[in-house]
Amino acid sequence: MKALEVTSLTKWYGSARGIEDLSFDIAKGEIFGYLGPNGSGKTTTIRCLMGLLRPTSGQCRVLGERVVPGRATQHTRIGYLPGEFSIWPRLTARRSLRILARLGHGNKVDKRQEELSERLDLALGRRAGALSKGNRQKVGVVYAFQHQPDVLILDEPTIGLDPLVRQVVLELIRESAEAGATVLLSSHDLSEVAAVCGRAAILREGRLVELTSISKIVRQGQRRLKVWFATGTQAPHLPVEQLPGVRLIQQDSGSLHLAYQGSIEQVLKWLAQYPVDRISTPETSLEEAFIQYYNKNPPPSAITHRDTGPKEAADEQ
Amino acid sequence: MSSKIHSPFPWTLLRFWTLRILPIWCLIAFVIFLFQIAVCGIVHDNESVKTLLQFLDMLPSFIKTALGGEGLKIGNVSGLIAIGYNHPLVLTLYMLFAVGVPTGLLAGEVQKGTMELILSRQATKTHIYICAGLITVTGMFALVIVMFLGTVAGTNLYDFGKAVPLYAFFKIAINGGVLASAVGGISLLAAACFRRNIAVGLTVAYLVVNYFVAIIAEWWPQMKWLRPTTIFYYVHGPEIFNESAWPIGDLCVLISLLVVSTLLGGVIWSRRDLPL
Repeated sequence: MKALEVTSLTKWYGSARGIEDLSFDIAKGEIFGYLGPNGSGKTTTIRCLMGLLRPTSGQCRVLGERVVPGRATQHTRIGYLPGEFSIWPRLTARRSLRILARLGHGNKVDKRQEELSERLDLALGRRAGALSKGNRQKVGVVYAFQHQPDVLILDEPTIGLDPLVRQVVLELIRESAEAGATVLLSSHDLSEVAAVCGRAAILREGRLVELTSISKIVRQGQRRLKVWFATGTQAPHLPVEQLPGVRLIQQDSGSLHLAYQGSIEQVLKWLAQYPVDRISTPETSLEEAFIQYYNKNPPPSAITHRDTGPKEAADEQ
Repeated sequence: MSSKIHSPFPWTLLRFWTLRILPIWCLIAFVIFLFQIAVCGIVHDNESVKTLLQFLDMLPSFIKTALGGEGLKIGNVSGLIAIGYNHPLVLTLYMLFAVGVPTGLLAGEVQKGTMELILSRQATKTHIYICAGLITVTGMFALVIVMFLGTVAGTNLYDFGKAVPLYAFFKIAINGGVLASAVGGISLLAAACFRRNIAVGLTVAYLVVNYFVAIIAEWWPQMKWLRPTTIFYYVHGPEIFNESAWPIGDLCVLISLLVVSTLLGGVIWSRRDLPL
């Protein structure tokens, strides 16, 4: 049984498209990245999964149960962190968290709450209205993790957090997955997706444009090559017309910085004509690969089937 | 853990919201209670009544109509005490509660962003709506009972020289309670359909229009046909004083309005995508 299943999910807001024909699933214990620019439909998908929005068509299943909008399907087993976490400003963070915990069989969360707040360096006794944006987000993280859920749905969980606390949140995600929880992680911070996720989906204009392993996403992007020529040798002119898929990023007197797609063979053959001192291949960042997905033309066609399963993705990692 | 978990009623939310509303409810109840005693204090003395009536005679006649019309005369103790039930201050306080509570609880939580958190726990949309409805209707009804208790206290504190028909006031209070609850139902419907400001605006507009139509229909004979179109028509103070029977017809109309508006609001609330 899959922990989360989305089948042909479509949501229109009047005449405006939210998401269209999305299909993917997430296995138990998997950490799944959900990527896309603003307005691509990430939050819409998450709200459909939570039953907060009524889909135009298609369906979602959480832990095997079909999500019925407004019916709190499996909510006791879900830890949810909304994209814009707001809490009652006049109450202390502790009281707000207790109220929310008691709304879902979560009476025994106090110990876990204290443990989480200690790790996040958060004072739970302060009024939520007096907390900084970052500290309010920490309250949101405690809220999502406090009842040790089987499924975590996190919409940009590290937004507004400093790098140290981000690391703590990523550790919490990893620990939860190791303990058997399934995580859907929507984020703009692609390095954090790469750090914890095995697989990711990329959305663009409400459609799924990629659903594969993180390593494949990186591999599909352009790769970089930096070449230093022997002392006294002028860096040669790059014959772009003879080397399709290769472009010049930067040229100095003694070095070239190139980007290429596909095989490196042609580039190496061309370089063999010159006295090369050393070559480096900087790793393509996920960020670069990600940006390329949005620069692709023409507009993407939807992926309606599972491209790579979680097991294959894990193998590739 | 079983895969299907029945959603229990969210008593925690009901308690949380009730505690949030309690201070404002207590304040409104206290003012209404004191106001009834003050009215009894003024109308138990014939000299004060004379001064009050002279003052009312100086004002436009529709104001006297709004406060009780021809029933306001020396010797008509019940009619004079009933000023405390028709007074604009009391009606405004009721309106404040009827409009503020459901819109604050439903539309307000949506607007603050906290409804998304409530809905992400084991609380269904229907349960959340029932919580808001219970607090609104019970709160309104309790305010009317407090108003009646104010009359009881006032009539015990001051000597009117003859027995005050408290049972008739009790019937008016129950009738008024149902009217207030119906207003709460309309407010719930508005809160289920719209954002907070629009919901407040529409409910206030509905009540103000109803109130003025009721006064105009009472005051201007050619407009008498408009009387049944307003909700205020369904609380007949003078008739309740004169008749021993309960106003079953009026109660049925108001209960129907309460049930229809509340159910309609519930259906819309549970089917609508909230602007989270």
